[in-house]
Amino acid sequence: MDEEEHLHRFGTPLEPLEKDEVPAKKPLSIEDQIVKDENGKRRFHGAFTGGFSAGFWNTVGSLEGWTPQNFKSSRGEKAAAVQQRPEDFMDKEDLGEFGIAPQGIRTRDEFAKDSEKEQRTGQRKRKLMQPQMDGPIPGVPVLEQLLRPVRDKVAVRILKSMGWKPGQGVGPRQTRKEKRQTTARNQREQYLLEHYGNEGLPSSSKADDDEEPEEEDDEDITFAPDDYEPIFYTPKENRFGMSYSGLSRAPVLSKGSTPAAPMQHINLFGQLEAAAKQKQLSIRGQAFGVGAFEEEDDDIYARDDMTRYDFSLADKQPKKKKVEYVQQRHVIDGFSEDKSNSTLSQPYTIDLPRDFQPRNWLHRRSRFAPMDAQRARRLEQAQEHKKAGLGRHDLNPEQRAELLGEVVQTTKKNPFKIATSVSNQQERSKSLLELISAKSDNFTKGGLITTTGEEQLAPSPSPAVELNKELQQTNASILQQAASKTKNLASTTPSGGFKPFLADEAKQQRYEQFLSAKLKDDAEITQFLADLQPVTLSLWDREMEKKEFIQASKIYRPLAGLMLDRFVSEATVQAEQQQEQLKPTEQKKIVMTRTKSMWKPNALLCKRYNIAEPFGGALPDPEKDLKGKPKMSIFDYLETSINTKANFQTPNIIPKHIEPPQKPSLPSEQPKVAVELPLKSVEQSAKPVEMIDRSETASETPAIKPSFVPRTPLELAVDASRDQPISEKTDLFRSIFDDSDEETDTKPAAVEEEAQQTAAEKLAAMQAALGIPITAAVPASAAAANVLRNNSPPRGLFAALFKPSEEQPSKPKFAPIEGNKLKIAYKSREERLKNDKELAMAEVPPEELYGPKLPSQLKQPPPGNNSKHAEASIDAKLQQLWQQHAPSKRKTEHWVERTMSSSDHSADSDEDSSESSDSSSSKAKRAKLKKSHKKSSGKKSKKSKQKVKKKSKKSEKSKHKLKKKKSKH
Amino acid sequence: MPELAKFNCSQTIDCKQGAVRAVRYNVDGTYCMSCGSDKKVKLWNPASGLLLKTYGGHADEVTDAAGSCDSSYIVSASLDKSIIYWDVSTGTPVRRLRSHAGGVRCVCFNEDSSIAISGGRDNAVMCWDIRTRRLDPVQVMKEAKDCITTVLTNEHKIYAASLDGCVRHYDIRVGEMTCDKVGEPITYLAQTRDEQCLVAGCQDSTVRLLDCETGGLLNEYKGHQADDYHIECGILQSDAHIVAGSSDGYAYVWDLVEAKVLQRIRISDNGGVVHSLATHPKRQELLFARRRDMYVFTTDVQIEEEQL
Repeated sequence: MDEEEHLHRFGTPLEPLEKDEVPAKKPLSIEDQIVKDENGKRRFHGAFTGGFSAGFWNTVGSLEGWTPQNFKSSRGEKAAAVQQRPEDFMDKEDLGEFGIAPQGIRTRDEFAKDSEKEQRTGQRKRKLMQPQMDGPIPGVPVLEQLLRPVRDKVAVRILKSMGWKPGQGVGPRQTRKEKRQTTARNQREQYLLEHYGNEGLPSSSKADDDEEPEEEDDEDITFAPDDYEPIFYTPKENRFGMSYSGLSRAPVLSKGSTPAAPMQHINLFGQLEAAAKQKQLSIRGQAFGVGAFEEEDDDIYARDDMTRYDFSLADKQPKKKKVEYVQQRHVIDGFSEDKSNSTLSQPYTIDLPRDFQPRNWLHRRSRFAPMDAQRARRLEQAQEHKKAGLGRHDLNPEQRAELLGEVVQTTKKNPFKIATSVSNQQERSKSLLELISAKSDNFTKGGLITTTGEEQLAPSPSPAVELNKELQQTNASILQQAASKTKNLASTTPSGGFKPFLADEAKQQRYEQFLSAKLKDDAEITQFLADLQPVTLSLWDREMEKKEFIQASKIYRPLAGLMLDRFVSEATVQAEQQQEQLKPTEQKKIVMTRTKSMWKPNALLCKRYNIAEPFGGALPDPEKDLKGKPKMSIFDYLETSINTKANFQTPNIIPKHIEPPQKPSLPSEQPKVAVELPLKSVEQSAKPVEMIDRSETASETPAIKPSFVPRTPLELAVDASRDQPISEKTDLFRSIFDDSDEETDTKPAAVEEEAQQTAAEKLAAMQAALGIPITAAVPASAAAANVLRNNSPPRGLFAALFKPSEEQPSKPKFAPIEGNKLKIAYKSREERLKNDKELAMAEVPPEELYGPKLPSQLKQPPPGNNSKHAEASIDAKLQQLWQQHAPSKRKTEHWVERTMSSSDHSADSDEDSSESSDSSSSKAKRAKLKKSHKKSSGKKSKKSKQKVKKKSKKSEKSKHKLKKKKSKH
Repeated sequence: MPELAKFNCSQTIDCKQGAVRAVRYNVDGTYCMSCGSDKKVKLWNPASGLLLKTYGGHADEVTDAAGSCDSSYIVSASLDKSIIYWDVSTGTPVRRLRSHAGGVRCVCFNEDSSIAISGGRDNAVMCWDIRTRRLDPVQVMKEAKDCITTVLTNEHKIYAASLDGCVRHYDIRVGEMTCDKVGEPITYLAQTRDEQCLVAGCQDSTVRLLDCETGGLLNEYKGHQADDYHIECGILQSDAHIVAGSSDGYAYVWDLVEAKVLQRIRISDNGGVVHSLATHPKRQELLFARRRDMYVFTTDVQIEEEQL
């Protein structure tokens, strides 16, 4: 009890633990403690359930969770650096009141400290003060008045009290102009500082800075000066180049080798200190695993280096000297004079040349910018001596000598001299003035200064006078002279510049003569060259040379010539236009020209048109030929002078008069037909074979060439008008058809009969022999139409086949009537086929024959009967062979020209064939045949006549009808 | 020959497809087609002016069109370098044929519409087999030296008129190409019903009558103005009158034989080039295209009375 009384108890005792009692409630273990955010969601999860989670479970902001940034194409703005702020990576809580970067609404500094401003926002202050009013001590808390947060530095406060506002510069207020000047100056200085560093600023810039601003009274408004970073000039103390700093001792690889903190991250000793110093409230971290507030890991990649060891025993920190602050004159309180003697040291200067003009090469001046006055003057001075020397220095010795009238030693070096040396002698004697004026006249006219033009000028008395005159020339005129000389240089010798045939000197000479002759007409050129060319030259070579020359003259023209071709003065254009305007009064006459050429229709096209392919599709395909064409080669162009398309005549498309081949053989053959019977059969047999052959190559054209020898005036006219266009042939047609309207059969027949007596006889004999009752017009016209026929002599087997046919005298003496030829050709073909078929049907003794057999015509007419028999049998076999081929061929060609009715002709042919089958070679028969031929030809002419007249008849008809109608009305 | 009754306008159709580039009758003249610069072909009933169908699928202006012999297909040429073979009833393109190197100017069918022939600015005439699915031309004729303006065909010949002043006859039967050089650029070519002559509209404001057989110049028809337009010409069903458009808003009808202007048809009061025309294959009826409109002209009196 006593003890208890002596004891003093303080506090409340814990409840005594009962012995057997175990504490009911355990304190929560760390792992059971759950951190929750303001929404009651779990803030941290276990490491295996997500760790520090802000994602799916602990959805960052909203229900949708963390939404990624919208995709923004960086195509257009690749270079733009993405501005990432720390806030982008922070949670909402971090920005909250208790987060690492609180962003709540707080009073701004100026409101908090400035009593005046606080008064302005009295409402708010009052509100804040109200709880304080309620407190035990009324009034403003004394402590608050005593302790004020220091936010600004003293200097700022001083400045503010002097009227300075943040953002402004320090200094007296400026007018607008002054301000502009200072801003410009500041900008320039800033630029220089950036580019040259702070040690090597040009001295001149300082002088500019010192200019005193001009005060302008008229402007009362003043502005505060701009704030700008002042430039501190440090005097240059070394002889290094501008803004050069020597090698630093820091290792090259170290990143932070700034002079302030060299080798920062590998300084073992200073590291902690530095880290402590730099520790600010900033968000930093090192990759994963390091929290924002944790210490950084050691730089595990740093190398240990001897430079990091401190070998000195001395104190690291230099002892601080006590600074005495002595009040000095001219110094504001609190400031002291600079004791360091850095200002005394003289900066190194470079002795520049006196007239050195600094130039910023970055500011590149344009070539076309006007020259500054000083430079222009200097240039002018530099050129002065030239003017004073009358431009003599621009001339070469020869030109000078020429001007002085000295004898020029002609040297072959100068090409200009070669051309003009001859004229130089004459030139000397002329007045220079006149010469110049003449030249300048020519020059203004636009023509070339020719030697002939100079020769026309009158010679002047003597070179002595000339010299005097020359002295009187103005500088300008001499320069002009020089200019004209150079022009002359360029314009003379049009071909001399380039010699295409230099290898062959004679040829080159000829070429030059050819050029100088300037011939245009082709015939003239031929004549001209023929006189020049040596006799040894072959005709072909001559032709080649001519073409080469023409080509060369076209190619190697001087540039001026080319340009002249290209440009035309406006006056000439206008003149041409005027002429054209006058012209249209006279109508251009349309001349129709018709040309024909081969064309191969596609097989499918023929099929679709339901037409058999012409020539059984045996026409050569031009497309296939084109495919085999070689590629373009440079050599093609080299040879263009000869091998151009224009140099070749296009193949004769209008059938022309072809020379009758082997005329003399005709009379010799004629008696054969007349006398010898066996030949008939021979030729009969030959014919079908030929036909087959032809049907393959040229279906509706017989192989007989047209030969035509004009006999009568009419024939001559026809012959002459072959090449004429159709429009000009009206007279010819009239002459043909006028008289034959009624008595076609008799009169013209009679006329022509006489004219073509011999030919017709031959023909008739042949036809009789061949058994082909084709009218004489047929082969001629058909042959005329067949432009595709190969006129070259037959070769091989064909040579043997066709040799007799060439000798055959069946050359029709008949002019093909234009326009009708095709029809005639068709009809004849038909007839012929029909005939041949009948013939073959009529007399074919069946016999076998194998292999190709040359027709017996090749052999001489057999003297004996045995051979005759043998031949007859062979012929028969050939006939049979042909007969086998004939029908199939015929099927493909059974079409008939619509416009012509072939009934009467077929009747004719029937008659003829019967005649021929009689195989009589008597004169009477021949006459009959002739007659029938005439008849048919007459009919034909009549028909064509009718056709020509068709239109006129039509018109008459229409007129008639018109009349009828009128009468009706 | 019947006296030519005066043509009167029986129908004016605003095609509503931009400028009308060409107007064409079908094979029997009951329908007509208009080719527009809006890349469409329209099928009309010329008598009532009813729009029957629009065929769209070209990528550029349609320059020409032709109907098949059974009027179940249309082939159209366009500046998009292709020709399209249309099904008339469904209005869908059956085939699009591309091989021309330039815009296609003209197109036609052969007699049984198994071959379409087109001519274009690439100076080529192309024959297309449209029976098969072949997409390349059966035959290409590249003889012309300038743009092909018209292609025509009959049973065995293909005619191609070109701006190089030539009419080329491709005779399939003979396997021969005949070139008749007129000398003036030919802007259009028409064939007489008897297939003996060709009517060629030339650039020098002259329509010329050419003889097919001889290649001779039979007649010249003057009076209209062609200027720089591709003025079309035609021959009336009777083969007795030539008709041609003009740049002054008129159409001219000439007598074939006398080459005398019989009628100067005033198409419109306010100018416009009458560049395209079509002659009815059976009746005395004409189709003109001017600017955005199509005009039907007939000699029928009843229609006129009805209108009155």
